[in-house]
Amino acid sequence: MATPLPLQGIRVINFGWVWAGPVVGQTLGFLGAEVLKIESRARIDMTRNLPPFAEGIVDPNRSLSNHACWAGNGSVTLDLKQAEGRALALRLIAESDVVIENFGPGVIERLGFGYEALRAVKPDIILFSMPAAGLSGPLEHVRTYGLSLTSLTGLDSLVGYKGESPLPVENAFSDPFAGIFGAFAILAALNHRRNTGQGQHIEFSQQEAVMQMVGPAYMDYLFNQRSGAPKGNEHPTGAAVPHGVFPCRGDDRWISIAVDNDAMWQALVAAMGSPEWAGDAALATLAGRAAAVDRVHAQIGAWTRGFDDRELAATLQRAGVAAAPVLNIGDLLDDPHYKARDTFVEVQHPLGFKETIYGSYVKMSRCQAAVRPGPALGADNERALRGILKLPDDEIRRLEQSRIVY
Amino acid sequence: MTEALTPPRSGALAGLRVIDFGQGVSAPHCARLFADFGAEVIKVEPPQGDAARRSGPYPGDLPDDEKSGLFFFHNTDKLGVTCDASQPAGRALLLELVKRADALVENNLPAQMRQWGLSHDELAAVNPDLVTISITPFGQTGPYSEWLGSDLNAYHLTGASARYCGRPSEAPLEHGTFSADYFGSVAAAAWGLAAIYGRALVGGGQHVDVSCAEAIAAAFVGGQNIGLLAQDKRWDSRTGVGMPLGAPATILPCRDGHVWMLALEPGQWKGLCKVMGDPEWATLDIFDNMYSRAQNADVIYEFIREWTREHDKMDIMTKCQAAGCPVSAVFTIEEAVRHPHLHARNYFVDVEHPALGTLQCLGAPFRLPASPGGAKRGAPLLGQHNDAVWGGLLGKSRPELQRLREQRVI
Repeated sequence: MATPLPLQGIRVINFGWVWAGPVVGQTLGFLGAEVLKIESRARIDMTRNLPPFAEGIVDPNRSLSNHACWAGNGSVTLDLKQAEGRALALRLIAESDVVIENFGPGVIERLGFGYEALRAVKPDIILFSMPAAGLSGPLEHVRTYGLSLTSLTGLDSLVGYKGESPLPVENAFSDPFAGIFGAFAILAALNHRRNTGQGQHIEFSQQEAVMQMVGPAYMDYLFNQRSGAPKGNEHPTGAAVPHGVFPCRGDDRWISIAVDNDAMWQALVAAMGSPEWAGDAALATLAGRAAAVDRVHAQIGAWTRGFDDRELAATLQRAGVAAAPVLNIGDLLDDPHYKARDTFVEVQHPLGFKETIYGSYVKMSRCQAAVRPGPALGADNERALRGILKLPDDEIRRLEQSRIVY
Repeated sequence: MTEALTPPRSGALAGLRVIDFGQGVSAPHCARLFADFGAEVIKVEPPQGDAARRSGPYPGDLPDDEKSGLFFFHNTDKLGVTCDASQPAGRALLLELVKRADALVENNLPAQMRQWGLSHDELAAVNPDLVTISITPFGQTGPYSEWLGSDLNAYHLTGASARYCGRPSEAPLEHGTFSADYFGSVAAAAWGLAAIYGRALVGGGQHVDVSCAEAIAAAFVGGQNIGLLAQDKRWDSRTGVGMPLGAPATILPCRDGHVWMLALEPGQWKGLCKVMGDPEWATLDIFDNMYSRAQNADVIYEFIREWTREHDKMDIMTKCQAAGCPVSAVFTIEEAVRHPHLHARNYFVDVEHPALGTLQCLGAPFRLPASPGGAKRGAPLLGQHNDAVWGGLLGKSRPELQRLREQRVI
């Protein structure tokens, strides 16, 4: 028998939608929890309608990006606009350990799933809410997209080319970051429940969580009243020079090089064939290189230009320099490292097609994470309604016909 | 767990003891998340200290190993000891601590851990219930696992920068912070805590192997791109614009900085137009919907920029938000910190530090009302708790400690 997973026996009801909320459920699912995402054809999640679709067939059960981001969540289709749908969800919650939601503040209460209502059916329930900026305060109801949420943390003010205006990150880095972080919050609450028997309502303000990422810049503000600004790929605290991305041979090929000590600098100089400019004694120390950072980076870029990125990275690694190719999306499936680690896996979907999603991106020595294909709408209705709630067949049929289960 | 060293700690993770055997950002940040919520975290530094101590920011830019902001931020609420693991006596000392711990978090090169005789198998031999959480740029296996690497190398190996950050044909960009280290540390905290939580179920401790690059390549980049690549052999690259397919959706300059301009859905666009005073150009057919606006991006961004340049970011944000349009100010660090919102939420906490005085720290990353977290004590001075840990917890006598000091083990 396979080793059980660490969260086996934990049941999670996930009202999370779009990206961050489903990733919370996915993370717990990888680790063995039974995760039932509640959704409905009455209001299909927009990400189910995003192309590309499996085999090009447009269908809310075939969106490839939706499947990769949601895989690990089960799906139970209940129309929460109908009282009976809400009642069924509450009955499922009564048999669960954790409830996840990422609606705006107040919505979960209006649906009848506020913490007090949940506690009435399951006294030690853990409710996890992940609003953009918290459940109170002047920005409680701030509207953001995952893309722009980071603007509230100061992080976006640090992204861009040196000396220029901030440049947008073109997708919501904070969604999966907050999603995985949220799983840690839930695990902490589960541990507290184990210690004390108490559940609780976790308030996970995405703004406050993502502010961890500006910690170093925040400390500079605290100490020196400086706010920070874009500086390209330079080291965030200036503790490594050179530290950048340099052009290589070919279209959009680059190499990253990060030199965080003086011995590594000497190794880089030797690997470059000890050019005259690099022999400048002032460059032997970090302070000297920092003072000449633009010149150092320009010289290195002129040198890297003629090389193949992968070959040069291997050469520099052999010389003792931290360097790696800069991958584009087209490289990901062929990269020998990700291949060796099974980062991306092709899975057979129950609806009859194959899809490539990401697998267990963390490896555990004693157990293998549960990797499942993306959930088809209602894929777990049977398990939830018959298995957990023990509803008889004719009752399930009635619920389906009246589109309460829909 | 065995007897706690510090006064009984409250918090969701009370009763857990975690060893932080890392340096820099990733492992220390992961261990600090455990400390934030009540675990007893013992930071084991080499005699010369965590490398982060030799990085700024420092107050007044004056380097001082006890005043590094990078070190402080990632090490609050930890006990600090020194131990030279490269010496047999140091290794033995660390293993004694491992016997009494629930988890060890580290971010050394795998070869380095083996050379010290501290691989997970060797740690598990003295404590089968130990969860070893390894957080490295590339992970414990695979062709790059022995590569030297940093946050920068890891981040750019994920596809994230080439896909999402920078202008086409110019250098792809990191986010101006340690994005890969933070992503990896958070993944490690979640998976690592699950491994601790589930020890009885799975039959003991285990090695949790986190590659910062892999976590981002999978959960950020892969989620959105890998299906298209695998099925259709197609893929996209960065554009330098927030969202190339819909408009407006990008960062634009305003009178006193920048705003994240977003007005995609019809109601949002109407709201923005209203705030701008319903200008005549906005009624042009080419601006009818988010897609047609994106096809005419050059024109529309020029029009909107003309307006934003005349207004202040907070003014734009407040009026647009009131009109149902999700525009936000691009806060500088100072603006994020000074905005009344976080103060109304009592986010910041004051923490004492022997060398830095009282500091206003960022608050707990999330709120557990039944078991509150967040920093309570400053980061440890180098070796500050040597006597308490090596003497008090492990029961080393004064002469033994003296000998260890003379051998420069501690």
